Amino acid sequence: MLDFRVVLAPAISLACGLLVFVLGRHDGWRATLTLSAALIKLLLILTLLPGSLEGVVYGYRAFDFPPGVGIAFRVDALGMFFALVSSTLWVLATVYAIGYMREQHERVRFFGFFALCVSTTVGIAFAANLLTLLLFYELLTICTYPLVIHDETPAALRAGRKYLAYTLCGGALILLGTVLVQHLAGSLDFGTGGLLRAAAGQPLLPLTFIALVAGFGVKACLMPLHGWLPTAMVAPTPVSALLHAVAVVKAGVFGLLRVTYDVFGVELLAGLGYMSWVAALAAFTILAGSFAALAQVNLKRRLAWSTISQLSYIVLGAALLTPLAAMAAIVHIANQAFAKITMFFVAGAIERGTGRTELHELAGLGRVMPWTMAAFTVAALSFIGVPLFAGFITKWYLSLGGLQAHAGWVVLLMLASALLNAAYWLPVVYRAWFRPPRGLAEGVKEAPLLLLVPMLVSAAYVVLLGISTRVPGMPFSLAEAAVHYVTGIGAGP
Amino acid sequence: MQVSATHSLLPLLAVGLPLAGAVLVAPAARLGRAGRFVFLLVLAGLATGLALALVVAVVSGITPATALLRFTPQAALHLRVDAMGALYGATVSLLFLLALCYSWGYLKDDPHETRYLAFFMASHGWLLGVAWAGNLLTLLVFYELFSILAYPLIVHAETPAAIRAGTRYIVYILSGGTLVLLGVILCFFLAGDRPFTPGGVFAPGTDPALLRTAFWCLLAGFGVKAAVMPLHGWVPEVHPAAPAPFSALLSGVMVAAGSFAILRVVFEVFGAPLAATLGVLPWLQGLAALTVVLAAVLAVTEDELKRRLAWSTISQMAYVLLAVSLLAPTAVAGALAHITHHAFLKGGLFFCAGLLATGAGVHRVSAMRGLGRRMPFTMAAFTVAALGIVGVPPLSGFIGKWVMGVGLVEAGHPLYLLVLLGGALLAAMYLLPPVWLAYFSPAPETPEPAERRPVEGPRSMLLAALATAVASILLGLAAAWPGMPLSLAHRAVAAFFGGG
Repeated sequence: MLDFRVVLAPAISLACGLLVFVLGRHDGWRATLTLSAALIKLLLILTLLPGSLEGVVYGYRAFDFPPGVGIAFRVDALGMFFALVSSTLWVLATVYAIGYMREQHERVRFFGFFALCVSTTVGIAFAANLLTLLLFYELLTICTYPLVIHDETPAALRAGRKYLAYTLCGGALILLGTVLVQHLAGSLDFGTGGLLRAAAGQPLLPLTFIALVAGFGVKACLMPLHGWLPTAMVAPTPVSALLHAVAVVKAGVFGLLRVTYDVFGVELLAGLGYMSWVAALAAFTILAGSFAALAQVNLKRRLAWSTISQLSYIVLGAALLTPLAAMAAIVHIANQAFAKITMFFVAGAIERGTGRTELHELAGLGRVMPWTMAAFTVAALSFIGVPLFAGFITKWYLSLGGLQAHAGWVVLLMLASALLNAAYWLPVVYRAWFRPPRGLAEGVKEAPLLLLVPMLVSAAYVVLLGISTRVPGMPFSLAEAAVHYVTGIGAGP
Repeated sequence: MQVSATHSLLPLLAVGLPLAGAVLVAPAARLGRAGRFVFLLVLAGLATGLALALVVAVVSGITPATALLRFTPQAALHLRVDAMGALYGATVSLLFLLALCYSWGYLKDDPHETRYLAFFMASHGWLLGVAWAGNLLTLLVFYELFSILAYPLIVHAETPAAIRAGTRYIVYILSGGTLVLLGVILCFFLAGDRPFTPGGVFAPGTDPALLRTAFWCLLAGFGVKAAVMPLHGWVPEVHPAAPAPFSALLSGVMVAAGSFAILRVVFEVFGAPLAATLGVLPWLQGLAALTVVLAAVLAVTEDELKRRLAWSTISQMAYVLLAVSLLAPTAVAGALAHITHHAFLKGGLFFCAGLLATGAGVHRVSAMRGLGRRMPFTMAAFTVAALGIVGVPPLSGFIGKWVMGVGLVEAGHPLYLLVLLGGALLAAMYLLPPVWLAYFSPAPETPEPAERRPVEGPRSMLLAALATAVASILLGLAAAWPGMPLSLAHRAVAAFFGGG
């Protein structure tokens, strides 16, 4: 179905970004502009939701780029899911950033690129073929760079260089993969249930697979390609939140999902057996990421390693190739995003309010910042996978998906990872609530409303995601539609 | 004997009332201390009233049920009150009500009262959910929530000892919870979302290796809570550290939650015939028998009163698992009744231990000399409860053990009768010396006059302790009446073995 809204959604954020550059000197005006663009885009995407839930695929072909390959958009359930999550979070992150970035330098540049980032993210979500996906994927890299180096300290510039080196190399690999796919399949369009289905047995297949998986694996932080993420922690907190929860890393895993379901297709991959290697790598990343998180003493760095570990849940879910595991992979995009952004919001609020960044300094903060620490606790319980929180749904589906794939070790891995998460989040929670505060300056109090409200909304969402799976319009129902779309069948027993 | 369920909102209301109380604790602070306690007592009292009404409903043949939440398209949470659940739910509610009353005196001038009350009320709600869970997933959800959210109650005092105990607790409980989750996932994978069914939920021909793994996981996971050796490590550490009213609940109903869940798993998930073929129960038999005796021996050698009582709980709760592992119908009925009887007896003992600590500052058995004269009411309640645990007729503790003993002989395991009797004998050895010291041993030499005054604790605490003693006497005398624990237990057991 041809629909103009498909291209309007990324265009709104793009226009917003450009307008901010031109007219954004005045703080109030800039805030209004960014916020209204975020809300309008969310509403626009919500109008597409009913159709997506019923399996309608909206499309829009912009123009042909090289002959035969167009810059084209389409909205299927999978893309819709990613777009919905990222535009919901954009609203929250914008409110938070307005509160957080007061009295910072270069606010115009910051908010301009912030909006461009989200525009490219929606472009990735709605890309109709591998070339469009690649284009927006590269644009995302470029738009996030000014955000990463925002502080312009030597450490920030170093982190920026490392970030560019990793992601541009990843982009180059994807380009290689794209060319190979075009060669093997003669087309790059998604939505056929496997572009390369007819190419089974071709000698170039392994190379194509490696190029695409490694390329997207960089942003998905699949070990050993994860090195840029902990370094990029020097960025301002709203940027870290955006990098970790919404745009960059999720673009990577979303790309992997597209490669799995749209480029290769489940049937071909099941026959080839490459995915067991990816599954093994993801399993290793889950455990190693958690162990590394355990060793950190700085809150944001622990969050970074936890992200690396959590992202591989999604990769593992895709690699298992069963419908239930696909369900886990897709819902975890939302589950991880909301819980992780909550934690980053909390980390930023603590840093702003008390200047503290190290884990041992968080003692007693529950008494002075009770709402902030309550939001943190909710997110922590979700990562551990306590029932009624979002994380449990992932754990449940991924375990069942593993059993469905005759891979019992997945269940053990899930449980081990849950225990590791408990081991590195519960001590933080404990310290905040049950230890007396030490050496806090007078007048330290709860975070200001602009920081607190987004934090509490996303924490509430973490609980909602865990209990309201049957409410229509929640991401879960969309994920079901997406599983139906990618596997052609419902989500299992 | 599958009774058709009647849709009813009563179970949901009974779970919801204490949870609402938990949310309202902080705003209710403006009612003043007394006003807030009265408010919470009313909520807990209403929940208890509903729990007792549900017992009446079950006795008259109704099975009230409520759908809670469709968790995923394939799995739903729902509550369903059968005989076993009604019995445990009523026990939980009554003991929570008494403990709340006791907390009024115990928590005087406590800086963390609000936190304590909020988590206390929440625990009440979660535990009712455990009692009335209609399927394994619902049980898991409530079980995990109450296990994890009990942590703030355990570390309440925030002393180094309490913090250490809390850490130990959370490590044990999370590991146990992980095993339970593994078992639940396997069961769900093998059978889908099935309600608890006497006789089991698995179709014939299900992969026995996976079934055995699931069974091991569930037994070991819940075994951590039920304190079966060697998984008991948290119990003797946590009880002395926790506040007295919460220790009473821990020993009375929370350890029992593990045994209760094991009963559900053995009889209503796997079913007795299947459970017998998996080859896991002989292990449980051995461990349970060992636990009965060994924990009792350790209790005898322990001088700290609350720790001695904790060891006693481990020993007493192992009776239940012994009966379950032998799959002897009458013995299982006795074990179910024993859970309730033990709840009031052990709850009473911990209430008394708290009274001794606040009134006379006594924490050790050896310091109880002459206390019978200074704290007559406390020691009276203590004596009744102690005799009950030992199993002296006509107190309630005797009933459960008698029926269990009869069941063991009936099922052809007379040797295990020795374990039962040994446990009772050892119980006499660890609980009667304190009583003897209190009444008959002369008070310490040349006492200060101040140390001879009566030192009874606050009336609210005393009231709770005496109420458990009265309950234990009544439960013993009226054991044969309909609606009493034993009749409900027989009803449950008839379903377990009749349906299979």
